[in-house]
Amino acid sequence: MSLLQREREIIVNNEYIDRFDFEEVEEFIRGASKNLFISHKFKTADHMLVQPRGGFPTYDKVFQLYKEFKEANVDVLPLTIDSNTRLNDYASAKKMLALSEENDVDMLNGYPLVNHGYRTTRKMITHYDTPVSLRHGTPDARLLVETALASGIFEIEGGPITYLLPYSKNFPMDKAFLYWKYVERVCAKYSELNEPINRESFGPLSATLQPPAIVIVIQLLEMLLSLEEGVKSFSVSFSQTGSMLQDIVSSNVIKKLARKYADRFGHEDATINLVYHQWMGAFPRNKEYSDSLINTSTVIAAMVGADKIITKTRNEAFGIPTKEANAMAVANVKYTLGMLKGLPTVGDEEEEENLTNEVDEILEAVFNDGADTLWRKVFNSIKKGYIDIPFSPHIINANEVITIRDPQSNIRILKKGKLPISEKSFAYERSKIKLAEGERVVDKIIQDIGIML
Amino acid sequence: MSSKLMIDIGSTYFKVAQEGEIEQYFRDFNKNIFDDLSSKCASLIEQYSEENIHICSSANGGLSTLIIGLTNSFSLKYAINIAFNSGINIIDTVLYPKIEQEPVPTEMIDVVIIVGGIDSVENVFDEKLLDYLDRVNYQNIVYVGTKKSTPFLQENIENIVVLENVISDKLKIQEEALKTYLTDLYQADIMGKEDIKQLYGITTNQIFSTPYIVNRSLSEISEHMDVADPFIVVDIGGATTDIHYSRDLVNDNILTDSGYDRLVFKKLGVFKSRESLVHTAKNNEFVFELLEHLNVTENILEEYSEKATRTLMQLAIFLVLYKVSKHHASYIELNLEILNSIVLTGGITKVLTQEEVDDIILFFYKKILHFHHAPKILLDQNYEIWTYGITGSSLKE
Repeated sequence: MSLLQREREIIVNNEYIDRFDFEEVEEFIRGASKNLFISHKFKTADHMLVQPRGGFPTYDKVFQLYKEFKEANVDVLPLTIDSNTRLNDYASAKKMLALSEENDVDMLNGYPLVNHGYRTTRKMITHYDTPVSLRHGTPDARLLVETALASGIFEIEGGPITYLLPYSKNFPMDKAFLYWKYVERVCAKYSELNEPINRESFGPLSATLQPPAIVIVIQLLEMLLSLEEGVKSFSVSFSQTGSMLQDIVSSNVIKKLARKYADRFGHEDATINLVYHQWMGAFPRNKEYSDSLINTSTVIAAMVGADKIITKTRNEAFGIPTKEANAMAVANVKYTLGMLKGLPTVGDEEEEENLTNEVDEILEAVFNDGADTLWRKVFNSIKKGYIDIPFSPHIINANEVITIRDPQSNIRILKKGKLPISEKSFAYERSKIKLAEGERVVDKIIQDIGIML
Repeated sequence: MSSKLMIDIGSTYFKVAQEGEIEQYFRDFNKNIFDDLSSKCASLIEQYSEENIHICSSANGGLSTLIIGLTNSFSLKYAINIAFNSGINIIDTVLYPKIEQEPVPTEMIDVVIIVGGIDSVENVFDEKLLDYLDRVNYQNIVYVGTKKSTPFLQENIENIVVLENVISDKLKIQEEALKTYLTDLYQADIMGKEDIKQLYGITTNQIFSTPYIVNRSLSEISEHMDVADPFIVVDIGGATTDIHYSRDLVNDNILTDSGYDRLVFKKLGVFKSRESLVHTAKNNEFVFELLEHLNVTENILEEYSEKATRTLMQLAIFLVLYKVSKHHASYIELNLEILNSIVLTGGITKVLTQEEVDDIILFFYKKILHFHHAPKILLDQNYEIWTYGITGSSLKE
């Protein structure tokens, strides 16, 4: 038995799950419907895939949610996991699930997949015969992902950086890398049985004034970490920045560099897709404005040529949306996309050159780290502040990079901390910034965070 | 383990590892360590050059420290963490604002650590510290607090060593300087002990403390044993019990270079600390259910027999898990609910069977955590964990 398989045996031997039958799971995946694989859907679809977010504690509510989504002609179903499960606290999830079921009140902010188990969940997934995307935010997702894959969920979001730095304060990062290595290996192993399992990185990060260079660097590193373990289908992603031009520039650069670095590391056979998140920052409380924001981001998604868009709802400012509001958002996005065919390719040479340089410069510094493995090079680079996410709560993050918007709403780097970008690249960033006479940076940051309010 | 000879000097055994084989030798207390080792392994030692012999030792009992800090949340917490991970035993900690009410340790302290404040903080320490230190019997003293207090301490405390503050301006831990100082001090302590000093006749490598080496081994462990993170290694010896734990089992703001930390229970041992172990057991609310579960009476705690020793060892396992569980507020609370593996090493692995260990840990999980089953349990019966980290291969950068 391989080392990985021996570790898997330990992981699934858990208080909160039924007996885990690896052979049966392999058999299920081997014979699973192609319709459950988003990698297959990416290959065969002639339109941008639309995926909402959503998850409720009980099986019945998720079943009903999926029904609404299917009626709205959704392409990809979401399964958002509750916070307790994300923290591996299956005991609390179990209690809250019981309360939710007894009282018909949602005591969890998502679906406790581990507690429901794969045998139950699989019934729902196979019933709808539509790709499901696992949305969580878990640093140690080993058991969760085992359960998801066994359930028929063949897209796994996250990664050691994107599901740690924006989500956690003190979970040890070296452990996160190793736990995600396990996830990648399991995904790669199952990819050999049928269509590839798709891994998707989480580009929005802390969703607050994220400079595109950092976002793209992290996307590419998570992609490389995944591909080196044998994953063949990977989605890079980013979220609406607040500047249409910057989104278009980001998409052109990320598509170009993802392919370049995948090939450079010997992964010519990997398929890479692009995912665009609708606005991830603070939403206006005015629902008509929210509709407009969602509509605009749908237009931008079409402009950037995303393979998949992840939607928001007009209720965003008010908490977890109802299934009806969520389905309405999907239907509206699908309607808008129907009007946006055959768009011209747009770009900005100067912006793209600068962004490309920044990404290459940071990656060069990461690859030049003296460690013997890629994950450790990345880990060391984060410790040194070469990769630094604004507004990350995590203690390992340097938090020295400061970003604000320029007059065209592009996110620019005001202070670069220890980012290893050249003086030329940094001078370009600074040259675009215009602070009004006497304006304080902190006031500008607050204003820029709330740009859509 | 290609062409290296590894030796662990313990208080009752020494172990010699080479080419994947580990031999254990009971110490002959009529001889000093070097002579004893030479008489048993001379031909083996001759086969290796000095640079290929690596030695760690717990025979000198390790160093003791007293830590004086400004706050529990930062200075004490950080210094305790560094001390434990350097293989040092903490005698006591003193919270500086309450120093006038704190008792003074009676035993000789190997090193006093003073810590407090980030570098911009002024007027942290005053005469109260000097008065307290006058009453402490110590051999070394080191300061790792705010720079602003350095002049005051240097003027008033003889031979004080000043190192980089363990608290950065961003309130993060800076462990390197103090850790290096403490491991070097351990080295110096060894050099002062004639017994071990002679060992430098056969090696050019630094002799480290065994707990420090064990801690360094943990990142390698899964390559040798079926262990899944997060895990703990429980080392129950005659005098103390060490726990090495994966950092994702704790929820604190310490970010160290190692993914594993160490914790020591000085009074949980089955031989030298037997009395305090029994005392702790008798004061535990679950002990009678536990004894009933083991099918023995309370009298077993007063007996001296093989059966009594086995029971005490099982008690030690239970108590150490209890002390780090959420039911017992101490320096560290480990999230035992998410544990995947428990590895046991030390003297108990030669006495207890796998079934006896499984039984007691399952009892703990059922009784205390209300689980139906326990994590995977492994016994390091070969006593080999220390060999994974002794050659420094685990120090990847």
